[in-house]
Amino acid sequence: MEDASISAGDAVRRDLGARPLWSRLHLPWVAGALFLLLLPWATRNAYHHYILNLILINVILAVGLNIVKGFAGQVTVGHYAMAAIGAYASAVFAAKFGVPFWLALPAATLFTGLVGAIVGIPAFRLEGAYLALATLGLAESVRIAIGVTDYLGAAVGFSDIPPPVFFGRPVVDHIAYYYIVMPLALAGIYFSFCILRSDIGRSFKALREDSLAAAACGINVRKYKLLAFLISALYAGCAGSLQAHMAPGFLHPNSYTITEMVTLLLMVVMGGLGHIWGGVIGAAIVTVIYDLTRDYYQYQMAIFGMVIVLTVMFMPRGIGGLIDDYLAKRRFVAIRRAKANAA
Amino acid sequence: MLLEVTGLSKRFGGLVAVSKLDLSIREGEIRGIIGPNGSGKSTLFNLISGVYQAEPGGRIVFAGEDITGYPSHEIARRGIARTFQLLRIFTQMSVLENLLIGYHPHVRYGSAAATLGSASVWTEERRLKDEMMELLGFIGLTDYAEIPAGELSIGQRRLLALGRAMAMRPKLLMLDEPAAGLSPVNVDKLLSTVLALKQRYGLTVVIIEHILKVVMESCDTVTVLEHGEKIAEGAPAAIKDDHRVIEAYLGKEMGDAEVRAFLKAS
Repeated sequence: MEDASISAGDAVRRDLGARPLWSRLHLPWVAGALFLLLLPWATRNAYHHYILNLILINVILAVGLNIVKGFAGQVTVGHYAMAAIGAYASAVFAAKFGVPFWLALPAATLFTGLVGAIVGIPAFRLEGAYLALATLGLAESVRIAIGVTDYLGAAVGFSDIPPPVFFGRPVVDHIAYYYIVMPLALAGIYFSFCILRSDIGRSFKALREDSLAAAACGINVRKYKLLAFLISALYAGCAGSLQAHMAPGFLHPNSYTITEMVTLLLMVVMGGLGHIWGGVIGAAIVTVIYDLTRDYYQYQMAIFGMVIVLTVMFMPRGIGGLIDDYLAKRRFVAIRRAKANAA
Repeated sequence: MLLEVTGLSKRFGGLVAVSKLDLSIREGEIRGIIGPNGSGKSTLFNLISGVYQAEPGGRIVFAGEDITGYPSHEIARRGIARTFQLLRIFTQMSVLENLLIGYHPHVRYGSAAATLGSASVWTEERRLKDEMMELLGFIGLTDYAEIPAGELSIGQRRLLALGRAMAMRPKLLMLDEPAAGLSPVNVDKLLSTVLALKQRYGLTVVIIEHILKVVMESCDTVTVLEHGEKIAEGAPAAIKDDHRVIEAYLGKEMGDAEVRAFLKAS
């Protein structure tokens, strides 16, 4: 008995030790980047390029939401307002102050991050549905404030946001814009992987499950809640800025309603709340479905709402969770089998 | 003294849970804390670990530092690890991840390095995973490393809770009813694990326990609480015969006159 358990332990340890070197670990990323680099050639027309951009911007948004909601367990309904803040901040920087896109994007991202951290403060005291209500209130007031501020175009919308200029040439084509969005989305996914696979991600999960026990393990709960809101707001700010500068360079407060938030939630829930791929899988699937069902748009919300409920009931950990469970079970069986063979 | 508690009180509304308690824990000892239900044992743990704030006037000094009023995570970082009566393990995380959370205070890389995924993070993660696998072997859960902790049995969960506290590399380990709900075989297993861990890491241990066998066999000193006050303290053998302790557990022995009065009244 004792010997068998040691050999099984060795199997796990060997497995951990046999993980590839750090440099080799980055091969999939290179492969992924190559694939995304060549992807536009597999598409047929400019509309497809537009959809690709939309997917990637949604990926950035959903990955950010997954960090704060899926991993850190903070039920925020204000994520879309963060995108609005990023979009309008970037638009103001570029259109009103003449700041080039390459500076407006990081500036808007940082600005949104700051706002996000402030919004995270109520999360010190509020949890679950109460936090959802508080963030919903904040988000709606942001949208309404934009809608009545003439400086931001009010209900008419903010138009003539300058496109990025690359070596003297404005980037208006969707295919050209793709090569700005794609590296950013890829970097966003990469950073989220690094964060969530490190001690930071583990601490997020711990405070999601039991903040009292997390504190007893030495985790500064407030710091990590704030960090989660900050990181997710940085993602939303970046995505918002990309929305603003994409042709035709127009923003309207109605693109930032609770409807958009529900769509975003659907992405994360379907992809897998708290799954490292959750945001990516969900954003891709939902954006495509959203586009395919555009003709039935008046039924979209009803269907999306139903899909959320069904997913939560029958697939609580989303598509990513299904994949994970399968892999974990297979490994356990393999270890047990190795043990049986050894005995 | 490793831990010195003086004049510690805690009230919940009108109820006095802990009242002007003094407690000194010597370095390297195993201290048992017993007492009937509601005598303030768990409240004492919650006060020491910063879950509750003590009433003004109480003082908690750990390893020469006054930690009164510190938040939980600061106390944990100073080397006090605890388990919970209801365990509070992270059921959706893997067994290995549970231990890694315990190791959190000792992780050496910063947030920036973690975000960029630098090589140093990778090496550190590998090192601490190896270290946690060793601890996992010690508590006998190696096979379950990657299984969600929620799928473990109660006995295994108790071992995991112990392991998570040990992963913190504490100076003082506080166990809140570690053997509750275990079969006799598992109680022995847990007991020997605690003793082995204590030997190996030179720990100081405080145990709250209802199972007297655990207290009598493993503790150097036993403190008895009732209604939030200390009513006895000493070697296990002496405590067992102390009339106040027997009274606290079984009630007062009635004299003849009292029995007659009681019978008349009923």
